[in-house]
Amino acid sequence: MTSAGHSTSRRVATLFGLACGCAAALAVSAGVGAVGYSAGAVARAVLHPFGSSTAEQVLWLLRFPRVLIAALVGASLALAGALLQGMLRNPLVDPYLTGASAGAACAVAIALVLGFALPALPLVAFAAALVTAAFVAALARTGSGISAERLILAGISLSALFAGVVTLVLVMAPPSSTSVGILAWLGGSVAGRGWHELAWAALYAAVGAAVAFGLAPSLNALRLGDERARALGIDVDRAHWGILGSAALLTAAAVSVSGMVGFVGLIVPHVARRMVGSDARWMLPACALTGAILVVAADALARGLVPPLELPLGVLLSLLGVPAFLYLAFYRRTP
Amino acid sequence: MIEVRDVALAYGGRVFVSGITFSLRAGEVMALVGPNGVGKTTLLRAMAGLHAPAAGEITLDGRSLGELTPGVRAREIALVTADAPIVDGVSVREVVASGRLPYRPWWRWAALPDDDAAVREALARTELAELAERPYQALSSGERQRVWLALALAQRARTLLLDEPTSHLDVRHAFEALRLLRALAAEGRAAVVVLHDLNLAAAFADRIALLGAGRLLRCAGPEEALDEGLLRRAYGVRIDVQRRADGRVLAFANPEA
Repeated sequence: MTSAGHSTSRRVATLFGLACGCAAALAVSAGVGAVGYSAGAVARAVLHPFGSSTAEQVLWLLRFPRVLIAALVGASLALAGALLQGMLRNPLVDPYLTGASAGAACAVAIALVLGFALPALPLVAFAAALVTAAFVAALARTGSGISAERLILAGISLSALFAGVVTLVLVMAPPSSTSVGILAWLGGSVAGRGWHELAWAALYAAVGAAVAFGLAPSLNALRLGDERARALGIDVDRAHWGILGSAALLTAAAVSVSGMVGFVGLIVPHVARRMVGSDARWMLPACALTGAILVVAADALARGLVPPLELPLGVLLSLLGVPAFLYLAFYRRTP
Repeated sequence: MIEVRDVALAYGGRVFVSGITFSLRAGEVMALVGPNGVGKTTLLRAMAGLHAPAAGEITLDGRSLGELTPGVRAREIALVTADAPIVDGVSVREVVASGRLPYRPWWRWAALPDDDAAVREALARTELAELAERPYQALSSGERQRVWLALALAQRARTLLLDEPTSHLDVRHAFEALRLLRALAAEGRAAVVVLHDLNLAAAFADRIALLGAGRLLRCAGPEEALDEGLLRRAYGVRIDVQRRADGRVLAFANPEA
């Protein structure tokens, strides 16, 4: 089966190219930082886990978990965006529509005011993201299914509410360290994350991704509209709940370790569709790889542009990514 | 095959048509006619298992539609609805290949051995083979209608339910679509087709089900179903009916009456 202008061989080649690009981005990004390492040094370190040299120590303790977390965040947000855009047949939808990130940001802001320790924040964020997404889903529920309009309205409303709470906390919170912590969260970053955070975020993201890939045939049927999908034997209500659940899990896993990283979940599905078409069996893997490359590259830039200062990851992605996307979308038409 | 027994259809709690009883046999083409809003589309959706009747029962080979899983139902009954938007960038072949989804377990990504042959045949029978790689959005509305018919063919269901499949087709393509339905009926399939053109219905259908005034007014062969009195009752205008020597029945709305 091919979609308009996308042959199977071209799609295989594209996915292979993206996988190579992802590996290259990880290797290059691992070498970027206050102390730079060559690709050869990174390759040697890969072969000697937690070796005795300084390079191996720095790479295994700091850089590798960080770049892998960046890849995980990019892949998760891109997949979540693709799932929700497919379910709602709306290209303007992004993963934060579920309210997950706004809920997480609100919970983190309150946790910082209450004096929670920094290592506890990812867990707080993860729990808040899932609870918020579940609440949004409950509001969007009609009968046994989910109403697209109600979902969008509930997600936007709750996100606005939580954004208001975060602003209130920023204005009212007395110690500047609290405000700085909240702003760092809102700016998005994968700095200081280690293997522990990677392990549990990867676990939840893997569950979300497995459900997402299992739903690829349903997503393909939903491209034709809910009614036609039903006529083709798809249990549309179950597919909607599965899509929403996996998108929430992927988003929660991402925001819990990176804070607010916007733009990826909205834009990457568009880029992936241009590369391999809208067939979810090809588009979902392309999304995951493109999202991973984008965030890994952006994190490298965030560290490397003005060292030793680190730019907020989410801000950098928006500043560089949005103009690039607008150029691709409006000036470079596909044949 | 499909039995519709004393079915009433409701929307938002309001019953708008009731007392519908007929059976659809293998090898038969039935035209469903009646004024706008009488419930033709809803009846098709109910026969596809997508709308629960407010009363009565619809069975497939003796089993209530509600007892069948969505997948089994879709392998037995194909519903072709009116043109509605789909996402951008989907090719004609992809749309038609969606007709094979009911045959795949939910976890299976790859096509089954029969899929390619079914899609190829469906594209060929609807004269879409040359447009197979074109984006669906780039087609004319008439070509799009043939795509949905091709999807139903790829589904290889025994019963086809078609909602106004000829509304955007020119005369030649409308004839060809209905001839295709006749050929499918000759192969043992059954079809219910919603039509507004009473003459097309009379020319191609074995039976005509006339809905009007909140009920099934008649379900019979064209000569018996196209009765001037019943047509006036259904549509609220005078429709003259001529019975030609060759057995053809022709119906004309009479604007002067």
